[in-house]
Amino acid sequence: MDLGVSASALVPASIAVPLAGAALMAGFSRLMPRWARDLSAIAIALATTTMTLILMAASAGRPMIYWFSGWRPSAGMAIGIDYAVGPLGAGMASLAGVLASAALVYCWRYFDSARGRHHALVLIFLAGSVDFCLTGDLFNLFVALELVAVTAFALTGYNAGYPAPLQGAINFAVTNSLGGMTVLMGVGFLYARTGSLNLAQIGQALTGRHADGLVVAAFALLTGGFLVKAAIVPFHFWLPDAYGSAPIPVCVLFAGVMSELGLFAVMRLWVTVFSGLAGGSGPRMRAVLLGFGILTAVVGAVMALAQLHLKRMLAFVTMSHLGIYLIGVGLLTPLGLAGASLLVIGDGLAKSALFLGVGVVQHQRASVSETKLRGRGRGLAVTGGTLVLGALVLADLPPFVSSAGHALLVDAADQAGLPWMETVIALSVIAASGAVLRAAARIWLGWGDTEISRTDPGTADDPGEEAEDRADTPVAERAQGSQEPSGQQRRVPLTMMLPPLALLAIGLGLGLTSGIADHAAAAAAAFSDRAAYAMAVLGTHSGSMPPGGRIVVPVSPVASAGGVLTDLGQVLAALCVAGIALDRRALRFRRALAVGTGWLRRLHSGLVGDQVTWLAAGLALLAALGEWALH
Amino acid sequence: MSALAYGVVAWLFVIGIYGVVTSRNLIHLVVCLSVAQSATDILLLEIGYRSGGHAPVFVSLPAHPGPAVDAVMQALALTDVVVGAAVTALLLALAVQVHKRAGTLDPDALRATRD
Amino acid sequence: MSRRVRLMLFAVAAAGLAATLGVGLAGLPSFGAQITDYARMLNEMAPRQRHVTDVVSAITFDYRGIDTLFEEFILLAAVAGISVLLRPLSDEIRQLPRDKAPERSIPPPSPAVWLLAAFLSSLLVLTGLETVTHGTLTPGGGFQGGVILASALYVVYLGTNYVTVERFQPDALLEASDGVGASGYILIGLLGLLAGAHFLSNVVGLGATGSPISGGTIPLLNLVVGAEVAGGFAILASEFLDQTAVIRTRRR
Repeated sequence: MDLGVSASALVPASIAVPLAGAALMAGFSRLMPRWARDLSAIAIALATTTMTLILMAASAGRPMIYWFSGWRPSAGMAIGIDYAVGPLGAGMASLAGVLASAALVYCWRYFDSARGRHHALVLIFLAGSVDFCLTGDLFNLFVALELVAVTAFALTGYNAGYPAPLQGAINFAVTNSLGGMTVLMGVGFLYARTGSLNLAQIGQALTGRHADGLVVAAFALLTGGFLVKAAIVPFHFWLPDAYGSAPIPVCVLFAGVMSELGLFAVMRLWVTVFSGLAGGSGPRMRAVLLGFGILTAVVGAVMALAQLHLKRMLAFVTMSHLGIYLIGVGLLTPLGLAGASLLVIGDGLAKSALFLGVGVVQHQRASVSETKLRGRGRGLAVTGGTLVLGALVLADLPPFVSSAGHALLVDAADQAGLPWMETVIALSVIAASGAVLRAAARIWLGWGDTEISRTDPGTADDPGEEAEDRADTPVAERAQGSQEPSGQQRRVPLTMMLPPLALLAIGLGLGLTSGIADHAAAAAAAFSDRAAYAMAVLGTHSGSMPPGGRIVVPVSPVASAGGVLTDLGQVLAALCVAGIALDRRALRFRRALAVGTGWLRRLHSGLVGDQVTWLAAGLALLAALGEWALH
Repeated sequence: MSALAYGVVAWLFVIGIYGVVTSRNLIHLVVCLSVAQSATDILLLEIGYRSGGHAPVFVSLPAHPGPAVDAVMQALALTDVVVGAAVTALLLALAVQVHKRAGTLDPDALRATRD
Repeated sequence: MSRRVRLMLFAVAAAGLAATLGVGLAGLPSFGAQITDYARMLNEMAPRQRHVTDVVSAITFDYRGIDTLFEEFILLAAVAGISVLLRPLSDEIRQLPRDKAPERSIPPPSPAVWLLAAFLSSLLVLTGLETVTHGTLTPGGGFQGGVILASALYVVYLGTNYVTVERFQPDALLEASDGVGASGYILIGLLGLLAGAHFLSNVVGLGATGSPISGGTIPLLNLVVGAEVAGGFAILASEFLDQTAVIRTRRR
């Protein structure tokens, strides 16, 4: 298929279209009726998604390089800024597009009081994410990071009439701005050393050199900054505060794609810049990244089990998954990266569907507290089904696409000689999924105790539970809160009911696509091919490009049957966790567990001073570990 | 000279973060964040500095012989200034609302997202 | 964590952080010794290739023009975000303050103050326009000039009272200026594509170095950025002022 000329114009169009739409929507929202704002925002998001999907297909063979303003490199020196489009980056961008579209459909009539500015912010967020995934320039990556961050801060605080969203937005903004600053310092260090801002050229300049103090500091500052965005322990404290209090449609964007961008950047930097350093730092760097990943996966899962506030629970589930993705990419093999990519897509779709489902519950029952909602799920059967199915997908229910990702990840861990990693991943996944299933069982089946005393361990009081500033929820109705009249329930609008189902259907469809694992593996191999990347960008080496080394995905029927059994085992185990969490006889056990984890919950104080202290400590730790790994 | 010039960067960044960590007032906290951010701008400009260099503006050159400083770092610092202004403005808007809703500006008194 | 524990942990962390920065800074070339080849090349080439005398402008709007596009949208996002955060919430209304004691009202601003404000603001408008339009020649450009233009409006606020300004404030015009400026950047970028070159390629005639109209698309980009920044900063000021002047909690 020849997409040559037309596809190259799509590269700038994939950011120009959403940005132009956002600018016009922000500038002329007074002139547009509400339906026109909604429709055009959805159309723009869908168009952007389509463009990135075409780019993903077109860049499958070799990276597409696009030099803005036409400044091609001369004599191996980059002059302008390039986009280096690969299937992995474009795929990530299209995931952002899908989630933005779903969020915009869902918030049909939602954000009326914001007069179109909310649509503009979502579209700018999308454009920033696309830039993030495609750019080949280190400083442009920083700009993309800040663009995504600034829109995200504003969107988080949308319900500005309540304390929790305000505090969440402040914690988010302060910690992530500091992360941005460390990234910029790292950019400065690398520029001073290599004289370039282009990723490929920086990587070439460092190839074969031994890491000295400056390179180690640059590594720690850059990686640390992006790990703040990726919410990896101990940089993660802002995430539950922000995700737990942001409006539902915004949570969809956050949970599905925003933090994953941080991990994407860490990998982009490792592959193009730091992996060429002399001294064979790979194995030790793997240990460092895996350590952070395991810690995050476990902490997130434990904290998810301790939540009764549904959005905050999903926030910790998201965090646990980020740890698992870091395990995948931290293996530093293409297979691990492929597995993580499929998991990002599969889990991202499922988590977004879960957030949207919780949004329906909140809209109908004016609460997101698991205990306050106990037994009040009647009449919301479709949403209940959505939540349960989403939770099972989190436990890698086959044939959804996350199951394929899980299989690849396990294979990658085995190949790396770390078979025990499978257990760590399984335990985190089971706990996270079990937490959501417990909530669903309590809400729709009325299981568990009637009243949870304040001292009941293992469950946090729900902080900042409140209604949202919705256009279609009159103040009076909201003030009544929990005691809504049962006779005159509002119908769930289709625009709220369908998007979560559509997201789950996409996950199912991708899982049923034959060869999806091979595609992911090929994309990951292309992403990891450092030499081909540098050659494509800088064009220094003459001759044709050698084909990138394809990795063979092991597809023995026995292995895949085993994988399916493992996944089903995980699903069963998650159901058991939910059962135990609600069973009266297991109260003692829960109490013991809660005493053991109470200190962890107390660390999540929600105070920005604590969070920044941990951030500084994390940076220092990362620098020490980087010194050990790179030197 | 190098030690002093570069030392300022480390000092401003660490002292700015110290201010954020210990702040009892959100407005003060935002200003401390700007202090930390100025460290990054100074770092960029110092990397681009050339002793005796003039600004990268090539008007009436005979009056300013000699090399020019790095224009790239100045452009980057300009971008960073805009980023800083955007974040500062957003945080101040949040602080206004916090003051209205929580009746305090003390970040340690905010308990809405405690676990 | 108690504040004591927090401080102790921070002391350790800050020592580590300072050491990290110190090690990194120690690895830099000594202060003022050299600039990179990339920077030297741009300093040399930009005046010739782009017919500008201010190289920073050429880098901002041409060599690295896409950075500036996103930078502009960071500002647009911040302005839109602040309008969202500071909008009248469901329990608030916009209401101009009513004078409850007309017989003891505050005297209107004296003509001298008013005149000074008018003079200063027209001076600021001139300076702003000068800065926006001479970005290719001397330090300055759309961002700097736009901020100066917006500050002209602030001076009007100071010279009169806010209620008067609020009545005549061209909100729709400011928003349009914000949006048109931002989308204008993209339209100018599309010129490159239409001419068969790349997005943001400088395809307009370059003019003579040193003349006010030189540098191709660079002065055009400065103009649209100036419009966006001026509109954006003016909106910012009015959103914050609205909070104290006209937004009230609704009476129950």
